[in-house]
This record gives sequence, structure tokens and C-alpha cells, in this order.
Amino acid sequence: MSRGTLSLERLNPLTTLAVAAAVAVITTAAGHWAFSLAVLAGLVGLTLRQARAAVVLRAAAAILLPFWAALLLVHGLFFPEGRTVLAVFGPAAVTREGLLFALDAGLRTGVFVVAFLLFSFTIRVPELLTVLSARGLPPRLGFVVVSALTLLPAAAQRIRRIRAAQEARGLVIGRSLASRLLAARLQAVPLVLSLVHESGERAQALDARGFSGRQPHTSLRTVPDSARQRAARLVLLVLCLLAVTGRVAAALLGGRA
Amino acid sequence: MASPSPQQPSLLLPEAPKRRRLLEILGAASIIVTYVVLVLTQPADIAAGPGSLAALAALGGFLLGAVLLVVAVLPTLPTSTVVLIPIAMVLNIVLGQFVGSTLVPFYLDAIGTVLVAVLAGPAAGAATGALSSIVWSLFNPTVLPFAAGAALIGWLAGGAARAGVFRRFYLVPFAGFLAGVLGGVVSAPIAAFVFGGTSGLATGAIVSAFRAMGDSLLAAITKQALISDPADKAIVFTVAALLVYALPRRTSFQFPFVRRYRVLAGRAPEGREPAAKA
Repeated sequence: MSRGTLSLERLNPLTTLAVAAAVAVITTAAGHWAFSLAVLAGLVGLTLRQARAAVVLRAAAAILLPFWAALLLVHGLFFPEGRTVLAVFGPAAVTREGLLFALDAGLRTGVFVVAFLLFSFTIRVPELLTVLSARGLPPRLGFVVVSALTLLPAAAQRIRRIRAAQEARGLVIGRSLASRLLAARLQAVPLVLSLVHESGERAQALDARGFSGRQPHTSLRTVPDSARQRAARLVLLVLCLLAVTGRVAAALLGGRA
Repeated sequence: MASPSPQQPSLLLPEAPKRRRLLEILGAASIIVTYVVLVLTQPADIAAGPGSLAALAALGGFLLGAVLLVVAVLPTLPTSTVVLIPIAMVLNIVLGQFVGSTLVPFYLDAIGTVLVAVLAGPAAGAATGALSSIVWSLFNPTVLPFAAGAALIGWLAGGAARAGVFRRFYLVPFAGFLAGVLGGVVSAPIAAFVFGGTSGLATGAIVSAFRAMGDSLLAAITKQALISDPADKAIVFTVAALLVYALPRRTSFQFPFVRRYRVLAGRAPEGREPAAKA
């Protein structure tokens, strides 16, 4: 699965989460486009060393390209606070400040998106939940998250089956709104009904196995951790606190917030 | 009716309800205080770049609030509600994409949240909204900061159900409209300060129109949210209501919240008389 020396998949999921959060917090606190650009380049470089690089980059592009286009549209053309006007098209004016604002916000969001996608595509969700419930988060959270992630493909598959069944009964989706509404109803109602009905059965099965018990649950899964990773997480936390404190101090001393 | 009901009251002793209550209050307070601070201290001059302190406050405060609410509420819910939450998350995503692709260009990404809120109450609705954003953020991290807004929608939907709005179908779109107004107002500072504007081209065009008239960024985004969110939530509430009405009475009346507050019109089916306490 893993490839290269910098594979994140071998790390404890808490360490990966700490890295992603620290990168997002420090970049936001720094608040400069050049810093964001350097961090984004570093993240893309790190992503390329991962086994699932293509998946991460494709997901990031699907989110970021429309987002950047919207930012450019909003701030590139309309920025009433801008002073250095570069070009004027009727009511719209391209200003230097507007473009810089779009660049700043776009790169910052780029860092946020790539950092967290890198995290979510290199961890195993059950491992993260084991670690989090060992640290006091309700064990039910684990059930809800894992159950949603397993139900998602199953529900998508079921909606295809329902559609095929309704088409076998003579459902033809026409172009008119009424026909589409009827088609939506004929597919959504059986889906919701079957999912809600199944949940009732699942509740009985879970209750019979002590799901609501308040005693500590024993986990069968052990997640590897090391003293170095623990130390690294502590250092990241300190760095985040320093970055935020520095930003607050700069704001109080009259810098920009 | 020989089969045991999944809603049988637990025989276990209740666990430290005060601590849970405190976490709930802290979570709600974190969201409210963050919003007030953001609106009061919004950077007056954004020409120097998107405010980084405002972004940190919006990210930290709203996310902390949403996580505290989830941690406080989740252990108190009955098992029948807990198993409904993943289904709501799946419905949010599947129906959102499906309805969105076949009908109108709206998000409609809260149908499952409102459905759970109607069947299981405001606390379950809030937890579902927040958790749904957290799970969806594994695929799209930009959703994560909006967890507090999603929790608010779930909570308001549950409140509307408790007040009996879903007994009269014609009231449902109005309740959705009002919830959309509040949800839009809470989400606007996140769009403004964390993402420097907007996440979509269609909403971006509306923001641009208000900016062209000289509005501040937060004002333009709040106005845009007040245009899209109420309509979106009115549709979401209506669709969720239609789905709840389509459920067999035996299924919908198995939820203690529905029986206790007479959420739906009509009588409980035989053997499901309103419980004295749920």
C-alpha cells in the first residue's frame, strides 16, 4: 500500500490529524500569500510521494478549481475597497487589492483543502476512531461515522436498484417538472422507507449486544504510536499556540487583524 | 405486537446529566459568542487581505461549538435515534445529489438532518447536522467550518416539530424559510472570513452584484445567504415533511419524540398509545 519514505499511512492517525490542523492554523495565522504558496507547494510535493497521490490531487482540483473561479469573479471584478485600478469594464473594475485578496484567500483555502484531504485519504477511519474513543470521545461517535461511510455506497447501489424496479413497472422520466417530481417521489420514498425500517432492526440487534452500556468498551484494535510521534504532536500544538499568540499580539499592537 | 420495542426505557442508571448539560451549554455559547465577536470586530479595511484573526476565530469557535454539542448530545440519545443518524447523513448526500441533479439548482443537502429532527427531536437534529458536516468533510474539507450552521438547522427543525408545525403541512415551508434565514446569517461570517467570499459560482455572482453596489464583504455575503438559504431550506423542510408523511404510521410513531409531542397529525396506531414519559 505504502510507497516511498514519506508515506503518511504508517503514522498514527492522530499525528496526521495534528499535522493537518497545525498546517491550517499556522498558515491562517501567518496570513500572507507567499507563505501560503510555499506551504501549498510543500503539501503538493508531499502528496506526490504518497501511494494515493492521484486520488488526493483529483479531489482537491474538483473542489478548488470552481472555488478559485468564484473568488476571481467576486474579488477580481468587484472590490469597492480597492484603490489601484488596473482596468475598468462598465460597473466592474479590476483592482490590485482585489486580485491580491483573491490570491490570499484562494491560496489559504488551497492549503486547508489539500492538508485535510491528505489527512483523510491517508488514514484508516476505524483507527482514528479507536484512538479518539480511547481519549474520551463517545464510542457511539465511532459507530455513527463508520456506519455512515459503509452505508453510503450501499445506499447509492440501492437507489439504482429501486430505479430499475420502478422502470420495470413502467416509470418513464419525462422532461416536464411534474414527471420529474413523480419520478423523484417514486424513488425517494422506497429508499427512505427501507433505510428507516432497517435502522429499527439494527437498533434491536445493537441493544441486545450492550451498545448502550456505560462501562468502558474494550477495543480489539491497537493503533501503533511512538514516543517520537507523541513529541511531534506536542511540538505542533506549541507551534500553533505560538502562531495564534503572535497574530493576536500583532493585532493588539496595531497591525492588521 | 409481541416483538419488543426498540424504544424500551433503559434500565441503566442515567449518567452524570449535569456534565452533559454543561457541555451542551458551552457548545451553544461557543457558537453564539463567536458569531457576536465576528460581527462586532469584523475587519473594517479588508483591502490589506482577508483577516487572519477573524478566520481563526470563525474556524475555532464554530468547530469547537459543534464538537461540544455532538459530545454532549450523542450519549444521551436512545439507540433507535443513534442508528438513524448515519441514515440521515447518507440521505443528505444521496438525496441532495439526486434531487439536485434532477430538479432545481439548489443544494438540498439537509433533507436527512430535518427528517431525523422531525422524528427524534432538536438534540438529535443538531447532532445529525454537525456530524453530517464532519463526515462529509472527509471528502470535501470546505464543509467542515459550516458544521455549526448545519447543527442549527437540525435544532430549529426539531424545535418546529415539537411546536407542532409538522401537523399542518402548509406551515412547514414557512418554518423552513425562517430556519434558512437564521442558518444563512450564522453561516455568512464563515464564508466571508474563512473562505474570503463564497464557494460556488452561482452564489458568487449574487455576492458580486451586492459588492458592485458598494456593500462590505460580510454584508454582501449575508444578503446573498438571505436570498438562497431560506428558499433552499423551505424546499428541504417540505421534502422532509413529505417523506415523513409517506412513512407508515407504525414506523413514524415508534419514535418516542413523535408520540410525546404529537409531532404528526392523527392518532398513534393501536398498541402505540402516547407514552406517559419517553
